[in-house]
Amino acid sequence: MPIVVDGKTFETDEEGYLANINDWVPGVASVMAKEDDLELTEEHWDIINFLREYYEEYQIAPAVRVLTKAVGKKLGKDKGNSKYLYGLFPYGPAKQACRYAGLPKPTGCV
Amino acid sequence: MSELSLQRGIAALRAEIDAPVAAFFSSCVHCGLCAEACLFYQETRDPQYTPIKKLEPLRRVWQAEFTLFGRLKGLFGLNKKVTDELLAEWEPLLYDSCTMCARCSLVCPVGNDIQYMIRKTREGMAASGHVPEGLITAAGRAVRTGSPMGLQWKTLQVQIDHVQSSSGLTVPIDQEGVDYLVMLSSMEVINFPEYLEAITKIFDHAGVTWTLSTDCFEATNAGIQIGNKDIGRVLVQRIYDAAVKLKVKNVISPECGHAYTAVRWEGPNLIGKPYPFRVFHIIEVLDELRASGRIKTEGKEDDRLSMHDPCNLGRKSGVIQQQRNLMDLVADNFVDLKEHGRYQWCCGAGGGVSSNERAAELKMTAFKRKKAQIEEVAPERMVTMCATCRTQLEEGLEEFNMDIPVVGLTEMIAEHLVEK
Repeated sequence: MPIVVDGKTFETDEEGYLANINDWVPGVASVMAKEDDLELTEEHWDIINFLREYYEEYQIAPAVRVLTKAVGKKLGKDKGNSKYLYGLFPYGPAKQACRYAGLPKPTGCV
Repeated sequence: MSELSLQRGIAALRAEIDAPVAAFFSSCVHCGLCAEACLFYQETRDPQYTPIKKLEPLRRVWQAEFTLFGRLKGLFGLNKKVTDELLAEWEPLLYDSCTMCARCSLVCPVGNDIQYMIRKTREGMAASGHVPEGLITAAGRAVRTGSPMGLQWKTLQVQIDHVQSSSGLTVPIDQEGVDYLVMLSSMEVINFPEYLEAITKIFDHAGVTWTLSTDCFEATNAGIQIGNKDIGRVLVQRIYDAAVKLKVKNVISPECGHAYTAVRWEGPNLIGKPYPFRVFHIIEVLDELRASGRIKTEGKEDDRLSMHDPCNLGRKSGVIQQQRNLMDLVADNFVDLKEHGRYQWCCGAGGGVSSNERAAELKMTAFKRKKAQIEEVAPERMVTMCATCRTQLEEGLEEFNMDIPVVGLTEMIAEHLVEK
């Protein structure tokens, strides 16, 4: 279902991920969070911005363990653990945060 | 699912029944030892996790069509049928609660290779469409993009650049005629890039010629995990083609355990021809270099270290002593887990379980066995050599608030190389 941010419509896939990552504006995250009844704090934005930079460099949406480790390396161990990240993003830090950041759905290995 | 997909599934099960399968089913003495050997039964005490029971769809086809008694019963319509409901009910048993670790096969007193039959039953499950979604999407991406995670060469190139700038060495790409073609798993590329850096340093140190291939860098095999030989074949053929094109003598599988068994043991049968090259796990290569004096190390780790043997490496491939030789090279205070090597316990995440979201909770329950094993010897760090095992160990240890870092053996060797 498409979402509307400041009067502009953004296409999403069937699971709510943004169809085109380049369309993203910060308002996308705010609107998506509102739909989930979640108030975005500075801590949420740290992760969302981190994911934007991560994707820019690696061209892949990180699954939860990958995200946890990468956050730990960049923002320190007290943020790079799943309890902290699940606290911020209760629907699963990788999936929910990637969605807010306009990234595709994260994928795992086999 | 439709009647057609059910029929496809039953036909696939029928096609998987060979002489060993028939012998195994008729040999089973219902002793239940396989349950005692199973991680999932051990940690839940739920009898549905008895390994031989997980094979019920395959067993029903065998009994109805390959036994005299079953055929007679069939004349009166007395056989239990394989239905869509049965397959739906068995899907979690075959995919969520089995890592194909093969511990059941090892202990079976009549020698039934149960793990081999799980692998075969999954062929029927896949053909009938009863497969966890995570495995379907991963297999699709593997065929389409070359990686189960959809990871592309450009991501690997970023890691190569990092490795080159931090080590001052060159990562060889598409070099013809070298000794080794190195394969990776996407998880190693994205989550454990220290592995690539480690082999770059070790091979430079030992004077080994090697290369990556831009045609194919991924060697995990979603076809094996999901139970689809056609996908398995496509993925192995890509490795074969890359190795032949570069005229390499040897291929090094990723650390990833199932990728090793897929390319090393199942591969030639999948593609229906022998390889003109040999396949090794990195641990085998490193131990060979050690034995021939080409790896010179200095200093040793002095904290208490223990080791997790990946099932695919230890139990299924007999690579057990090599990693211990390598540990001796760089560790002063190494202690094995009580059950290790052939009889080790699985981490709980292999065989496709880690890509199956529905199994997330069960996977952590299964980890309790490894947790108990680790608590028994109380190491300061754990060492292993498979990205999936390592991810599960890290996740499990964090879940249970155990502050025990997990390190890769290859990286540990690289840290102790004598500077040239």
